[in-house]
Amino acid sequence: MNGPLTFDFRQTIAKNRLKGLWRMMVDYRLPYLGATVALAISATSKTLTYLLLRYFADVLTGDTAAIGNDLPRTFIWVALGFVGLSFFQGGFSYLSGRLAAYTAEGIARRLRDFLFDHIQRLSFSYHGTTPTGDLIERVTSDVDAVRRFFNEQAIGMGRIVLIFIINFVALLRLNAKLAWISVIVIPFMLWVSMWFFKRVTKRYEKYQEQATTLSTTLQENLSGVRVVKAFARQNHEKTKFDGDNWEKFLRGRHLLLMHSLFWPLSDLVLGAQMLGGFIVAATMAINGEITVGTYLAYVGLVAWLIWPIRNLGRLIVQTSTGLVSYGRLMEIAKQEREDLVEGKLQPNGSVRGEIVFDDVSFAYDDEKSDGTPVLKNISFRCEPGQAIALLGSTGSGKTSLVNLLPRFYDYTSGSLRLDGIELKNYPRKYMRAQTGIVEQEPFLFSRSIRENITYGVGRDVTDEEIEEAARAAAVHDVILTFPDGYKTLVGEKGVTLSGGQKQRVAIARTLLKNPHILILDDSTSSVDMETEAEIRVALKNLMENRTTFIIAHRIQSVMVADLILVLDQGKIVQAGTHKELVADNNGMYREIYDIQTRIDQELEEEIASVI
Amino acid sequence: MSEEEKIELEEEEHTSPLTMPVLKRIIELLMPHKLWVIGFFIAIALTSALDGVFTYINKNIIDEGISAGNVERMYELATIYGGFIIVQSIMVFSFVYLAGVLGERVQYDLRKRMFEHLQDLSLSYYSQNSVGRLMSRLTSDSGRVADLVTWGFLDVTWAVTNIITSVIFMAVINWRLALIVFAIIPILVIVGIRFRMHILVEFRRSRRANSKITGAYNENITGVRVVKALGREDENLHEFQGLTDEMYRSSYRAAWLSALFLPIVQIIAAIALGAIVWYGGVQSQSGLLTVGGIHAFVSYLTFMLWPIQDIARVYAEMQHSIASAERIFKLVDTPPDVHNMPNAVDAETLLGEIEFDHVDFYYEERKPVLKDFSLKVKPGEMIALVGPTGGGKSTIVNLLCRFYEPKRGRVLINERDYTEYTLESIHERIGIVLQTPHLFSGTIRENIRYGRLGATDEAVEEAAKLAGAHDFITSISKGYDENVGEGGNLLSTGQKQLISLARAVLSKPELFIMDEATSSVDTLTEALIQRGMENLMSGRTSFVVAHRLSTIRRADRILVIEDGRIAEMGNHAELLQQRGHYYRLYTQQFRQELEQHYGVVDKTEEKLSAPKIIAAD
Repeated sequence: MNGPLTFDFRQTIAKNRLKGLWRMMVDYRLPYLGATVALAISATSKTLTYLLLRYFADVLTGDTAAIGNDLPRTFIWVALGFVGLSFFQGGFSYLSGRLAAYTAEGIARRLRDFLFDHIQRLSFSYHGTTPTGDLIERVTSDVDAVRRFFNEQAIGMGRIVLIFIINFVALLRLNAKLAWISVIVIPFMLWVSMWFFKRVTKRYEKYQEQATTLSTTLQENLSGVRVVKAFARQNHEKTKFDGDNWEKFLRGRHLLLMHSLFWPLSDLVLGAQMLGGFIVAATMAINGEITVGTYLAYVGLVAWLIWPIRNLGRLIVQTSTGLVSYGRLMEIAKQEREDLVEGKLQPNGSVRGEIVFDDVSFAYDDEKSDGTPVLKNISFRCEPGQAIALLGSTGSGKTSLVNLLPRFYDYTSGSLRLDGIELKNYPRKYMRAQTGIVEQEPFLFSRSIRENITYGVGRDVTDEEIEEAARAAAVHDVILTFPDGYKTLVGEKGVTLSGGQKQRVAIARTLLKNPHILILDDSTSSVDMETEAEIRVALKNLMENRTTFIIAHRIQSVMVADLILVLDQGKIVQAGTHKELVADNNGMYREIYDIQTRIDQELEEEIASVI
Repeated sequence: MSEEEKIELEEEEHTSPLTMPVLKRIIELLMPHKLWVIGFFIAIALTSALDGVFTYINKNIIDEGISAGNVERMYELATIYGGFIIVQSIMVFSFVYLAGVLGERVQYDLRKRMFEHLQDLSLSYYSQNSVGRLMSRLTSDSGRVADLVTWGFLDVTWAVTNIITSVIFMAVINWRLALIVFAIIPILVIVGIRFRMHILVEFRRSRRANSKITGAYNENITGVRVVKALGREDENLHEFQGLTDEMYRSSYRAAWLSALFLPIVQIIAAIALGAIVWYGGVQSQSGLLTVGGIHAFVSYLTFMLWPIQDIARVYAEMQHSIASAERIFKLVDTPPDVHNMPNAVDAETLLGEIEFDHVDFYYEERKPVLKDFSLKVKPGEMIALVGPTGGGKSTIVNLLCRFYEPKRGRVLINERDYTEYTLESIHERIGIVLQTPHLFSGTIRENIRYGRLGATDEAVEEAAKLAGAHDFITSISKGYDENVGEGGNLLSTGQKQLISLARAVLSKPELFIMDEATSSVDTLTEALIQRGMENLMSGRTSFVVAHRLSTIRRADRILVIEDGRIAEMGNHAELLQQRGHYYRLYTQQFRQELEQHYGVVDKTEEKLSAPKIIAAD
């Protein structure tokens, strides 16, 4: 079922969660109805089996006449009847199970696809503020809880209710008095079982809590093994672990006590109910009010009436987890997506790369930042192919500024023009295709190196092209030393790349993508000098003929830029070429430059002093 | 996909046949709780047998009560029935409680045994087995073994008793009809097992698909910025749909196979039932079978279906549990690499000469880490170890602490091979501060006291003062009683380091070892740490894996370690003069530290790759 998604979870959201779950079933309601009908037919066949048994017994005892008074022939028919009914019962039970699974698995798949797509289209602000673990938890466990709701709880409840109704009706037809006597205890049982499962859930949570405590203790001990050993604290650790371990045992016992009381107690109550029914029915049979056959049918039917009730309480309690999960998924679905294609302009060529910032300001619109702008009145322009360096300390707004270009965020006021056209008119998808980003420590996927290089290129690429890109990125030789060359997996199952290697793979990736605007996070502080030189070569190849924004950390790497912007607290405090900026004795740039020079001097002095 | 899930999935693939030695060891686990085991076996067997009895009483109610028109006999039988209901309830209570508590107890025992053994195992064991894997030994594996010895054994006992009881009663009622039933039992068992196996295969497939799905989610969410920047949304969705398709196919198949399984068993049984009804009807004509008898046959046949359809599931689970048991036994059977020699003596003091005498060391064979390493250290000397990552600095520290022992050569303390001393006497006299300081959940006070368990509150605070941690501790709201969070994650790295310094101070070590943090901390904390270190080192022999210039400069001797050898050795001035490795390292470090100091660069630099992005590996 590959292709664009047809199901939109957002359209089915409802405040009432049960209603929401019902609306989520769109397209699957018919199969689900089918599952219920099949269930009813199957349950009816089962009930009919007991009625057939009744007929058979009555024939044996002579209460009913045999077919054409021919006993052996009647027996054959009855025997065939049993087999036939069981085919009916089994066949429809299978059909019902299959349809329910079709519904539940189908809905779950649809939901998974939707959530995956939805999440990757949510805004940057959302991803910036939502912990990954929480999202993963929701899209896995909560989806599974919803799946179980359709596959087990909803159908399970339907099963119990249907079985009850069908058997009760059959009993009523057999003998109304007996039927009513047999259900006296049910409301009580239902109440008890709800009460019980709620309690058990609580005790279970406490047990689980302790399990978490225990595994924390364990984990801290195992990961701190050096500390434990270095301080020779083995005995202390043993005592501590034993305390937690024993507490878990006690809580487990506490939980089990509940279980071991509920099951026999319900056995006892329901057993008494059945026995009472048997006595009444047997008395009636002896008095001739009902036939032996009716008694047999009663004994069979009443079991199907009573025992399922025990599980109803559990189902009701479990259903609440399905509802909670639905609510948690709803929260994700409600989030606004980024529109990738929106924009007045639908360009198909590439941009030239002339960029004009005209009084641009920007503030994040999440709760934490409460509207304080992180960029204030930014104005500058750059020609196609120029290199712009951004210099400034943490929080000065360098990153926020470059994040505007691929439209990760939209500026709040002012005008930002690309090739003379307002940036907001370009679709996001287009802007991202035109922009390449090389991060300091880029994210690579657990795929082969080849796939990582071609990731996001969006067209078929030949091996030659890939190798060429890798060579230009100065990483080809490194890749060849890996066991499977370009097919080597990155990450846990394959090779672990160093920071510098990752960066060069990302450069190769960007070269293949061939964007006209380039954003570089130029920090080489984490790599050694040799690697630094290699990365420089790679970067130089990359920057050719592209408008480049460099997030710079050192004077050394901004000197070559056509325009240097010095940022402080969201404002451009200085702009110009290296030559111009150094000439300004009171500027921040000069200050930084002086510090760098002073460092070099100090180093000289330091060395001179010891030698 | 989390590591736990991966391990779980991987280990789920493992199944083992039941072999006598393993079974014997599993049963040994139960020996301390013999009476409980006997009790629960009796209770479950009785419960199961009583189910058969109820049907038999019912038959007699029909035949001797109803058909014979004997009200008194009916009441008599009903009273017996009622009595048995009470007995059965008691039995149900007993087996649920006994089996459940026994299960918890066996888990407790296993965890205790493994944990205590783990405390004795050497660091080499830990480096070969990830924390996640060890955790799963103590959590899921012990749980599975406990399930086997309780619910697993219980299922088997129940099933066997159920079938035997049913068979006996059927044979008593009418042995000819019973033969029909015997004939279908093997068919049912074979069908049952084959079906279950198919279902299990699909089920595993769907689990595998599920973990791939989780992995895809994980990667796409953590890498969402790259996805967006490269505009990969449509392709990613397409790939993901492939995974959900796979998941859908296997779980749908598993579900409908399960839905088909019970009906098939029932239909086979119904054919037998048809035969019984027909043949029974014929026989009843000659008085060989009563109405109650036929009814009883129908009931027994229905009963027997339950254990049969369960058999394959129980068998499959057993195989997993046995694999779990084998892993547990393997853990507790592993002898510690580093242990006390038979005649080990107390080291008495570490404040003597320490010597590495032609030491070779490797973690994996053919990948040498230290080669012919020799070094003599005078008491009270401060040694700084510098050099590239992977050069062997940490290994030297590991050997010094006797977390590992040399593969060749010796480490001498006071001119005696340190393997002649007891481990405890060495460890007690070492104070260690790790690069990533490890704290335990609990209060700051408890964490410092870990250095000397009997220490008074005054001693704890005194140590904190010496380590330079006191001021920051008293500045937080609850002071020494503040919780540090899981693994200390409520504190900053610098604060954690100060606390672990205080912990080391409190233990009054004779040999102090520190692995300096590479990550930067704020200037103030940095100064505090430096002062704390100074206090700690005075009058002690110390080894520091150094990253800070101030530490390096202070050292009596600097060792540049490269490729498992000492590349350069000497004091600061001597080494600078050589203009070699040390000179390069130093100038690079010097520039970085000063740049940081002047605020030109800070390592906590905001990245394009934003707050929560983690690397693919």
